[in-house]
Amino acid sequence: MMRMVALRLLLTLPILLGVSIVAFVLMRALPGDFAQASAGTTTISPEALDQLRRNLGLDRPVWEQYLAWLARALSGDLGTSFATKRPVLGELVPRFMVTAELTLVAGAMALALGGATGLASARLRGRVEWIVRGWNSLLLAVPNFVVATLVVLLFGLYFPTIGIFNYVPFATDPLGNLASMVLPGISLALTVSVTISENTRAAILEVASQDYVMVARAKGLSRGTILRDYLGRNALTPVITVAGLQLAALLGGSILIETIFTIPGMGQYLFDSVTTRDYPAIQGIVLVAATVVLLVNVAVDIAYARVDARVSYD
Amino acid sequence: MYEPAHGVAILARRDALRLALATGALGLAGPALAQGAPRRGGRLTIGADADPIGLDPVTITAFSSYDFTSLLYTGLLRWNAEMKVEPDLATGFEQPDDKTYVFRLRDGVKFHNGQAFDAGDVKHTFDRILAPASASPSATIFASVKSVTVVDRLTVRFDLHAPSAAFLSYLATNPTGAIVPRGVDGLNTAPVGTGPFSFVSYEPNQQFVLKGNPDYYERGQPYLDQVVFRFFKDQASLTSALRSRAIDMTWFKDPKVSAQVVRTSPDLVSAPGKTTRTFPVWINMKAPPLSDVRVRRALSLATDRAACLQTVLGGSGKVAAMVPESHVGGYDGVGEMPYYRTDAAAARRLLAEAGHPNGIDLGDYLVVAANPLDVACAQILQQQWAAAGIKVAIKPMETAPLIAMWLKGEYPTLLSVALSWSPDPDAIVSRISSMHPQGKGAGMADATLDAMIVAARSILDRGKRAEAYMAIQRHVAENAYCLDIYQYPLRWEAWWSYAKGYVPLAANIRSFVRTAWIDK
Amino acid sequence: MIEAFRRPGQRGRTMVAIGLAMLLVLLLVVALGPSIAPYDPTRTSPDSLAGPSAAHLLGTDSIGRDLLSRLIVGGRGTLLITFVAVAMALSAGLVLGLASGYVGGKLDLVVMRVLDVVFAFPVFLLAIAVVAALGPTVRNLVITIAIVYTPTMARVVRGPVLGVKRWDHVEAARSVGVGELSIALRHVLPLVVSPILVQTSLTLANTIFTVTALSFLGLGPPPPDPNWGSMLADARQFMELAPLTVVAPACAIVFASLTFVVLANGLRELLDVGGR
Repeated sequence: MMRMVALRLLLTLPILLGVSIVAFVLMRALPGDFAQASAGTTTISPEALDQLRRNLGLDRPVWEQYLAWLARALSGDLGTSFATKRPVLGELVPRFMVTAELTLVAGAMALALGGATGLASARLRGRVEWIVRGWNSLLLAVPNFVVATLVVLLFGLYFPTIGIFNYVPFATDPLGNLASMVLPGISLALTVSVTISENTRAAILEVASQDYVMVARAKGLSRGTILRDYLGRNALTPVITVAGLQLAALLGGSILIETIFTIPGMGQYLFDSVTTRDYPAIQGIVLVAATVVLLVNVAVDIAYARVDARVSYD
Repeated sequence: MYEPAHGVAILARRDALRLALATGALGLAGPALAQGAPRRGGRLTIGADADPIGLDPVTITAFSSYDFTSLLYTGLLRWNAEMKVEPDLATGFEQPDDKTYVFRLRDGVKFHNGQAFDAGDVKHTFDRILAPASASPSATIFASVKSVTVVDRLTVRFDLHAPSAAFLSYLATNPTGAIVPRGVDGLNTAPVGTGPFSFVSYEPNQQFVLKGNPDYYERGQPYLDQVVFRFFKDQASLTSALRSRAIDMTWFKDPKVSAQVVRTSPDLVSAPGKTTRTFPVWINMKAPPLSDVRVRRALSLATDRAACLQTVLGGSGKVAAMVPESHVGGYDGVGEMPYYRTDAAAARRLLAEAGHPNGIDLGDYLVVAANPLDVACAQILQQQWAAAGIKVAIKPMETAPLIAMWLKGEYPTLLSVALSWSPDPDAIVSRISSMHPQGKGAGMADATLDAMIVAARSILDRGKRAEAYMAIQRHVAENAYCLDIYQYPLRWEAWWSYAKGYVPLAANIRSFVRTAWIDK
Repeated sequence: MIEAFRRPGQRGRTMVAIGLAMLLVLLLVVALGPSIAPYDPTRTSPDSLAGPSAAHLLGTDSIGRDLLSRLIVGGRGTLLITFVAVAMALSAGLVLGLASGYVGGKLDLVVMRVLDVVFAFPVFLLAIAVVAALGPTVRNLVITIAIVYTPTMARVVRGPVLGVKRWDHVEAARSVGVGELSIALRHVLPLVVSPILVQTSLTLANTIFTVTALSFLGLGPPPPDPNWGSMLADARQFMELAPLTVVAPACAIVFASLTFVVLANGLRELLDVGGR
């Protein structure tokens, strides 16, 4: 078991390497570079542009630039952003925390919503089940950025005095910060809640049919105790692994929500950095994003392996 | 040289400066008096749509930085609300001959770090600008400067290679002519200037905080204790923020949005400002069919400029020629211009004459994807041209590669990118000269036009210069070297009426925050 | 109607029926597109941001184009991209998943790791890069999306294959001397059909999301090509002046996605496939 974990973790390294190389090459294949991007329509002499490129190290061969980046990255230095002239890591961490916070808020909402609807659907059956199904189908069909746009429209038309783009950093105003995460969180959470709802329902139904449960019932234990016990041990695992998978998906989907609600997270940072061709920033973001996705994947695979012993990875 | 108009004497620049005010407050009169006495203190929150990229005026290239440098730094001269040059750090100047300027500097001015300002700082600034290692975008602008000499502590002399009518305009423009302190490094992240506000803090994507400079040399100003810029990524959030009073003031890229916002409350003020830029269609004339002037004229005839203006801007702007109205010799949108009268049938006839009786396909028309107004207008033009048998395919591109192609003339046929505001019309028309890399790249080879452009550069008389630029524009329109569609202000500003004393400046920087105050 | 949902088989059949009906509407839009649109979707007019009227059933957009026409023709474009991209992802995924799962060993390791790299790569970065490097054309969008969804398809195929190849009758066939390829096609392939069918429906729904999201961000086909994503993005600025410009494309997107979600759910019930 431990060996498998170690192996999977080890395998993420070449993947990360691959991702970083692809990103590096891809970005340099884009027309234009930072020097040109920041100049805009201002007339700059070609000599000045070249000097700027030399200052940024853009005149050296691509492979040399990559190796230099890699060497620094391995020692924890993700370079300096072309745009802000500050360390990339310093720029990245706060934005990552924002995206992570949004993801967690959305995840918590999804768990709550999905858990509730899944529970209702499993325990109450009948019409409730049908309603939940319809609701879930609808949620799956509405992309998160459509929800977000409609929410913004709603507030703009009917509640114009409520500011919905009021992001404040957590450190400045924790309550305000959480308040600003509510609407974007809901937009992201709706789609994710569906999988959680279905898995919760499946897990609860499974519980109800176990022999173990019948024996425990015969012994006189209350339904609530059994539910709690079993869920606490086994049924929760698939639900949480699915939630983990969705977390990775949320991270990717956040770029749209961050754009619409103007939240300074990683998604927006990526978009801006690509527009200005801020290579060090792009590399840093890709590295962090890929790492998160891969680690989550490993965690999910491990959990699945625990659950289903028939699946083997050799 | 005196032309009294509306009770305010409009002086030729040279004389106005020589009359150098003891009051030091020329240009303060207008806006402030109209709204009652200014109140001290308070904080103004401004919504900005882009973060600054660097804060060192010598090296920055991004327009988004200008909002900030215009409050942190000042220059020898500055623009007043009527777009005339007036003294700033310099109290006056003399011109012993056409190529020499001797500026007298203000005494007792301090940089934000307490360092005293003197002629040495002026020399240091321009030495840095002209040094190749700085890679300064202002180097090309001040290429005419041969040397800068410190005469004494408060006097500095500029020697130019040749007379330049634009020199003073550039000195007045921020950040081009902004003065930086000598002996201070790292201005990009820790700016130190002589401006009305000093730097407090900057959190990227969040806010940028400035505080009032108590040592600012303009008596009484600034009134505000603090100015905070908050960053919003798009127009929708700017709108919402303004309406919910999270910000006091902002500017919009689309006049419809601005009009809509202002309609929602009687206390919202909007001021479009003067037109400062045009929407041009640049043409690559190196190869047929666009090398044929008849084809280009047909393009111009097929264009209905007024319809574009109406549909895209809701009428908030004017029809354009190369030079916007706010400049010397700018076109007012009304006068007669060759081939401006829309006539699709005549366009078809010209095309047939040029050997294209069945119409013509001009391939890709490149536009800046990030500018919705540009993209909208391009689509309308596409329709209009189609009616005359001219077919184009719109290709929105990222700004950076598009500009690279434009400057080198490597675009296939048509390309649109609006020019940012420049202090002098020469910066606009010289692009179309065959001696400019851009003009050459586009296939220009008109010696007459080149001569007209060079001559206009050195005309120091304002009236004569205006005539020269009108003649240049007519010549350009006659040959359809470049199609200008409409002219408009860069942004449409809007603010709550409790923010008083603010005047939008056509130079598109918020200089008049220094005269603003809050009345709540 | 509730009765219809009492028995799983019947419920599945009903949902598939509804899904197919909706699909028919979508296919009609794709097939007939421009012929049923009242106006040329690129025709501009000074009558911008107008509300619904006799002349324009859904009103006009910011440069005076008929919203209904743009919706119909835009739907055609969006759906075509979706179908083609998913078909490509499906083909690639089938080949890779079957090969990788069946052959196993080193091939499996290499293929899965490459797909992991693709999977881990941020979708939007890939799209932005492709568009910036190769231009914002329909073809590039299709290729990008096909690449993005291939790993998922491959994984879905590979799962059952991994389990199946150890089955007794497969071993038996092998021991008798039946060729590997024949075994793969005759025994293994049919078993992946069910999960693939369900996954394809889900992927179609997801692809609509990705296509519209990319267009929303400006990475889709260039103007004046009407497509739901960019219609939504353009409308955001003027939302309050003309809410229909946002609501109409939003409803269209939801309708299209819903079609495939309903189909996926119905198929899952019908084929008793179980969780994703």
